[in-house]
Amino acid sequence: MPFDAPAPVLRHDALNRDHFLLTLECPSIAREARAGQFVMLQTRAGFDPLLRRPMSICRVLPGRRGRIQILYKIVGEGTRYLSQQPVGALVPTLGPLGKGFRLPDGGTRPILVSGGVGIAIFPFLVESLRAARRETPLLVYGARSRGDLVALEFFRKKRVPVRLATEDGSAGTRGLVTRVLEPILADAGGAPLEIFACGPTPMLKAVGALALGAGIPCQLALESQMPCGIGVCLGCVTRCPADQRGPVFRRVCTEGPVFRADEVVL
Amino acid sequence: MRDASPRPADVDLSVSLGPLRLKNPVVAASGTFGYGCEFAPYLRLADLGGFVTKGLSLLPRRGNAPPRTCETPSGMLNAIGLANVGVEAFLAEKLPALRDCGTAVIANVFGETQEEYVAVSRRLNGAPGLAALELNLSCPNTEKGGLAFGVSPPVVREVVAAVRRAAPDQPLIVKLTPNITDVAAAGRAAKEGGADILSLVNTFLGMAIDLKTRRPVLDNVVGGLSGPAIKPLALYMVHRVHREVGLPVLGMGGISRVEDALEFMLAGSSAVQVGTLNFFDPTGSVRLVREIEAWCVREGVRAVREITGTLRLPASGTPTPPAG
Repeated sequence: MPFDAPAPVLRHDALNRDHFLLTLECPSIAREARAGQFVMLQTRAGFDPLLRRPMSICRVLPGRRGRIQILYKIVGEGTRYLSQQPVGALVPTLGPLGKGFRLPDGGTRPILVSGGVGIAIFPFLVESLRAARRETPLLVYGARSRGDLVALEFFRKKRVPVRLATEDGSAGTRGLVTRVLEPILADAGGAPLEIFACGPTPMLKAVGALALGAGIPCQLALESQMPCGIGVCLGCVTRCPADQRGPVFRRVCTEGPVFRADEVVL
Repeated sequence: MRDASPRPADVDLSVSLGPLRLKNPVVAASGTFGYGCEFAPYLRLADLGGFVTKGLSLLPRRGNAPPRTCETPSGMLNAIGLANVGVEAFLAEKLPALRDCGTAVIANVFGETQEEYVAVSRRLNGAPGLAALELNLSCPNTEKGGLAFGVSPPVVREVVAAVRRAAPDQPLIVKLTPNITDVAAAGRAAKEGGADILSLVNTFLGMAIDLKTRRPVLDNVVGGLSGPAIKPLALYMVHRVHREVGLPVLGMGGISRVEDALEFMLAGSSAVQVGTLNFFDPTGSVRLVREIEAWCVREGVRAVREITGTLRLPASGTPTPPAG
């Protein structure tokens, strides 16, 4: 059952110039959330910006207080206002929403593929995989440059191996994440893999195509503009394979945000 | 001395719009409330005056390609494309579950042709649990040369009369488009066709452009603008239609606060619809009901229907556009 109430800001940390980590106290969401789900946050009182913003749940912190963390990047007015919310402010928060990741079977190696701020969805998945005693994942993480890579410390502490790619070559392999991912898939030697990806749509499209071509199960966490987040406005739909009646659209907010790669046409 | 202000229990929130009686004046608008069940986790449907379903067509529709929505200053554009389950699935799967929901269920109807309006309305006529029909006259009319039905008063009169004959047992609400020079003329035509109630306004045509790509943001290029940004425009149209047409009015357009709802009632609305508010505050509609009640208590209003159309106009005040 989704929870809708003002959540107090417990911490609000700048990770760099435009990435922030927001810690909110919202016990009901913390209790019910699953990796891959999201919340809708009101970024500012009043009507401009008007709509709440969908944000992946980055982590549910241990302890009885019921804390969740949201990792976000300033991309527009809404997130700029959100970044100005001080400790103690109340942020109207609705969630948990959507269908999250399905955890892989035991013995399957999870490959997490992140582009840009898509990294925000993965700390929760890493902790869920550990709690479910699944294999340690490998993270493939791409960004424009070294300065855009955030949350690396979290993955280091969790002993998650990380392979980096940057478009300008300032860290890891120069190029896109797919340049790192391709040899990993080729060298798997038949061991069962499953890909979990989150990032910009062109990246998801490329990763999905690689996975489908290699016959590897792949879950994509989609981003979309969501006026409501609860399945009512029908504004966030994504295109799915057409049937005999024509194009098929599914709601990212309620039928996703996580889809199998073969379920969507990006 | 005893306080003469009414207590909450004494405030009568019920309103009547011709043949339609509502327990309170807040109705969730079509396209923003799904088929009602989607809001069950957030509020008690019985706390609302009513709700209007997503527009129903004869056959299911999947709608337009994404992107379908775009946020604008204090508003949003949508070009959903009237995606809906179709009238048969509504009758078989949605309406039965709503029969005991404790509030008025109003079915929104649209068609691409007059025949489709008639067929959908006939199918819904007398359906158990349905309180009224609302005709959406803002969609393209492929038979009439690409115009929307609602922008031509003679066409409005014709389609409303045809639906009136096809669905004689249902209170008939006609939803007017604001994309017209003289909204009151469309209202008069709807009245002549047999409408019981007018609801207004639907969304304003608008568009948004992505400067980076130099392309329209919406795949459909054009969308409908809603939200607080349109409130003054909608309020003016409600004021005019109330004064010039003489049918009960269900006013809407950017209602987001209790003050907005009350202003629409002063301008002539017997009840109000809330739309975009449901997107950014899923419990907002029920909050408005409580706040209207609290306002009545504070102001000593014993029955909320008493405030409808009580706008105090200056002696020279006319609803005509100002010069200059």
